[in-house]
Amino acid sequence: MNQIKLVFGYTFRDAVRKKAFLISTVIILLLVFVLASLTRIFPSDEEQSPTTVVDYSGYTCYYIDEHKLIKNATDALLESMPGVTIILGTQEALADYRTMLTEDKTLTVIEVTEQDSLPFVTVIASDFMSRMSSYTIVDILSKKYSANTLSELGFDETAVAIAQLELPNAYEMAGNMNISGYAVGILLTMLIFFAIYYYGYGVAMSVAAEKTSRVMETLVVSAKPSRILIGKCLAMGAVGLLQFTAVLSFASICFKFIVPEGFSLMGMPVTFSAFTLQSALLILLYFLLGYSLYAVLNSVCGASVNKIEDLNAAILPVTLISIMSFYFGYVSAATGTEGTITKIAMYLPFSSPFIIPFKLLNGNVSAVDLSISITLMITFIIVLTYVSIKIYSASVLHYGKKQKLWVLYKTKL
Amino acid sequence: MSLSVKNLVKSFGDNIAVNNLSFSMETPGVFGLIGTNGAGKTTTIRTVLGIMSSDSGTAEWNGKKISRETLSFGYMPEERGIYMKTKVLEQLVYFGMLRGMNKTDAKNSTVGYMERLGVIEYKDMPAEKLSKGNQQKIQLISTLIHNPVLIFLDEPFSGLDPLNAIVLSGLIEELISEKRFIVMSSHQMNTVEEYCRDIIILHKGRTVLQGNLKQIKAGYGHTNLVVSRRDEILSAAEQTGLALIAKRADELEFKINGTVMANSFLKKLVDSDIFPAKFIIKEPSLNEIFIEKVGEQV
Repeated sequence: MNQIKLVFGYTFRDAVRKKAFLISTVIILLLVFVLASLTRIFPSDEEQSPTTVVDYSGYTCYYIDEHKLIKNATDALLESMPGVTIILGTQEALADYRTMLTEDKTLTVIEVTEQDSLPFVTVIASDFMSRMSSYTIVDILSKKYSANTLSELGFDETAVAIAQLELPNAYEMAGNMNISGYAVGILLTMLIFFAIYYYGYGVAMSVAAEKTSRVMETLVVSAKPSRILIGKCLAMGAVGLLQFTAVLSFASICFKFIVPEGFSLMGMPVTFSAFTLQSALLILLYFLLGYSLYAVLNSVCGASVNKIEDLNAAILPVTLISIMSFYFGYVSAATGTEGTITKIAMYLPFSSPFIIPFKLLNGNVSAVDLSISITLMITFIIVLTYVSIKIYSASVLHYGKKQKLWVLYKTKL
Repeated sequence: MSLSVKNLVKSFGDNIAVNNLSFSMETPGVFGLIGTNGAGKTTTIRTVLGIMSSDSGTAEWNGKKISRETLSFGYMPEERGIYMKTKVLEQLVYFGMLRGMNKTDAKNSTVGYMERLGVIEYKDMPAEKLSKGNQQKIQLISTLIHNPVLIFLDEPFSGLDPLNAIVLSGLIEELISEKRFIVMSSHQMNTVEEYCRDIIILHKGRTVLQGNLKQIKAGYGHTNLVVSRRDEILSAAEQTGLALIAKRADELEFKINGTVMANSFLKKLVDSDIFPAKFIIKEPSLNEIFIEKVGEQV
């Protein structure tokens, strides 16, 4: 136990003193600060008046309706898009307009033709970034056409207005999954993946460096390889936890002191109400379990190389597993489905650290699912650690021809 | 105190790295472990120390199985391994603590050895800034920091310049005088001859020769004649039928069948008014014995 503590202490001190750790911490904290500051620069959704009128000055629209299918369409467009310059165009000049569109991003062409006895509206813009939305243009013209038709059928102005009335509305969600929890959940999933990958790589790097520099030969004289492995994995996990906690704490401070009170995103207030003590502890547990799982795998990869340059190739299988598991968990979480695939993602030890934290923040993990997931993960980590220690112990002193994992596992130590 | 290794066997798949090895050290001193590359020296050391388990056989210190837990031994591996980016004192204290010392004792012991080996001024420098010879001294300190009685030195002189070799020689002499048990593996036969009382020669895991070095050499008798290098001596030797085995800058070495043959050759030289400044009748060198024994196996 004392040797594990010593290896832990040495590895921890060595890791936190490295420039990579200090620089990455500063960069992440800076990003958090910038992100929080953006909420001061860009107003909250609710601060934007719903009656704000967008000014289309400087924009030009060629309107082509040679058969006058929509009467007074240009008036309707001018009314809804103030400032826009509307020029009546012709079919013949359409090719010229298209050429002009490639050079002038303020131009838009609206062509109305007849199809199945109805006006067919084609909006031609320079690219998808055009400020004159086709959705808005088609909506204006559709309303104008229906108003014209109703008037021709003898309905009075009140009836026409009622027919085009858009009812006042609000959008509410009964469940806990809101844009705030969703966004925070996705960010947290990414952060957990980054931390697990980065610190797992750190374990592989540390093990490979000790083996290739032959320091391991000095260490194994004093301590069993299993103790070195455990001390090293725990230390890198603690370093990860330290950085993870520092980032979350700093984010909390930024949220409290920089983000305006009641700040909303897409109409939903940004809150961290989903972060209860229970969910925070469970997220922490999943981070630690996920890290442990990938750290032991990475340590075996690190112990298998004879040259440090071979490390990236050696950890490739683990990297692929982690990336595939991340996307499996991430996609299952992001789509918000509750089917069999999601269940598998929650139970699979490789992917559960990337889906359960999201689901915990969005309040839809049952106690049964949580128990099964944690039990499977702990069991898997114990088995994996046992196997990994055997392979690691045989690998760290093996410098010759690369052996198969099974041969290393069977090696008597 | 004694080291006893009996019928030790260690194999990796079909390859038997240590094949039925037995030797013992009953008194303090230096024991030589000699062999070509791949002879099984490092595996022997690791197996004796319990870093690797043996397939069969025993390695005991004072009648108890040797392991990290039962004996605080010292082992300097052939491939040097220290943390290059870490300060020298810091890592040596860490190694000492891993060997069960408390921080103060580890620090005091480290400083003591650094002063003895003349590297104390580097204690706060990262190891990468030290010369290869000084790095080797740091490695040696990591081996001796906890003052082990049983010490294994794998190629301790490799890479050392003559001055540092003298410093290391002095330390080995000190260790011998402190009644330590040292097992030394080396390719440098003159080093082994200088320090080792008993030796074992390994070839592909098997023991090809072992015993007391003086007795082994005595068993061969006086087989070599060293004479000053002069052209007329070489001509006389050729006429006498002496086989030249080495031609050095200032001397010639011949193979002889005994002192009678040497005396007869000396008489012939004197009769021819040739008076060599050097005329030494001696036993074969360990190097010759090694080449002869391992050569037989090859």
